[in-house]
Amino acid sequence: MLKIIHYRERCIGCGVCQEMQPELWRMSRKDGKATLLKAITKKEVHILEVGDWAADTAERVAEACPVKIIKVG
Amino acid sequence: MMNQKVELLSPAGSFESLMAAIRGGADAVYFGVAQLNMRAKSIRSFTIQDLAEISAVCKQARVKTYLTLNTVMYDHDMTLIRNILSEVKKHGIDAVIASDFSVMEMCRQLQIPLHISTQANVTNVEALKFFTPFADVVVLARELSLKQVKHITSAIIRENIRGISGELMRVEVFAHGALCMAVSGKCYLSLHEQNASANRGACTQNCRRPYKVIDLETNNELVVDNEYIMSPKDLCTIDILDQLADAGVSVLKIEGRGRSADYVYTATKCYREALSALADGTYNQVKIAMWKQQLETVYNRGFWEGYYLGRKLGEWTQDPGSAATEKKIYVGKPTHYFPKIGVAEFLIEAGSLKQGDTVLVTGKHFGAEKLTLNDFRVNGTVMPEGKKGDMITFSFPFKTTRSDKLYKIVQAKDA
Repeated sequence: MLKIIHYRERCIGCGVCQEMQPELWRMSRKDGKATLLKAITKKEVHILEVGDWAADTAERVAEACPVKIIKVG
Repeated sequence: MMNQKVELLSPAGSFESLMAAIRGGADAVYFGVAQLNMRAKSIRSFTIQDLAEISAVCKQARVKTYLTLNTVMYDHDMTLIRNILSEVKKHGIDAVIASDFSVMEMCRQLQIPLHISTQANVTNVEALKFFTPFADVVVLARELSLKQVKHITSAIIRENIRGISGELMRVEVFAHGALCMAVSGKCYLSLHEQNASANRGACTQNCRRPYKVIDLETNNELVVDNEYIMSPKDLCTIDILDQLADAGVSVLKIEGRGRSADYVYTATKCYREALSALADGTYNQVKIAMWKQQLETVYNRGFWEGYYLGRKLGEWTQDPGSAATEKKIYVGKPTHYFPKIGVAEFLIEAGSLKQGDTVLVTGKHFGAEKLTLNDFRVNGTVMPEGKKGDMITFSFPFKTTRSDKLYKIVQAKDA
């Protein structure tokens, strides 16, 4: 299993995560920030456990995030 | 001589800088909230919830408030834009600075005064006319010469070009601060290198790094003046302010929402004094030299006058980082304030302080205050020096809070 952590508060809403991995990310029409789909939220940090199939793209998404608020582990 | 009042517009990237701008003498401040402004990456950004306090503080100080909403906008941003504009209206923010047509149209519908951002790259009279159904102020492109600026302001009067309010259109230009290597900030360098779009407020300042230029056909390295081949020096117009005023400019903007409160205070104060001197006919070389010396003490990359006097090519920095003549070294934080006697107590967390040292205190209630220490006490006793772990007390005219900071000021050459 793979864990994706999203520190959403500092998201600038560029949309690159949704562009690269739309199966895991959506841009919120409410506040313009990225939402990690089906994630659980702990103290404003969003965490998703997902199968290893998503690993390669998820790592590229984390690398592409301009404000480095996505961690994959 | 000036024939109109020129408005001084200062940056506010934090409550500290906001107070610094007000105390420095700004007529207006500009700031961003949430992620839709050109300093979105800054961790010190205001939130939408801060608008009430910003508005209240500025209304009390009779300082106008302009909100920047000037990034590239996507469809998923529309609700946030509407929410921000609704709060702008609710809290009586004086205007919005924008370059995207969606924001312009929403401001028009909501009857919110609008300033056209420099991101819109207005460089001629016809472009300015295009925006008259939406705005009253246009921030011109930073690459224009004063001759071109004057041509535009003269046309406004000659052709009676009026904005949405029915008043004559007003022109704003940048007076001081960082310049961008790209035209009107439209830069793709950060995006190409780090996927961080400057046009979404995530500039990573790649232009500020040293580079080598190599001809790949011959493998020869091209000879350039220095390795900082595209990092412009900072704009400074304090010595050509009379020419800016003569060009018919209505608003002078100081750049620097990412900069510290002491920079905002010093830059605002110098330009405030210079504008006052222009108005009362006492603007002279002695004062200009004094202001320039003060401006050099805070963050800068060296100064030039930008493109205003007709220069075709930018002037580049020689070094990384700041060329400020003074450096600030963190010393400690406030632990208590005694309002009856006007004394602040600080814990020294790093380094030491001697009698006669100059210190800077920054805080959200007063911005930045510099003072020379002559009679401080260490742990309650007059001592020549305070060291790490000591409690130091001295007279201070403003109430401090625990989030404020105490710095020692040293000459950069001694640092």
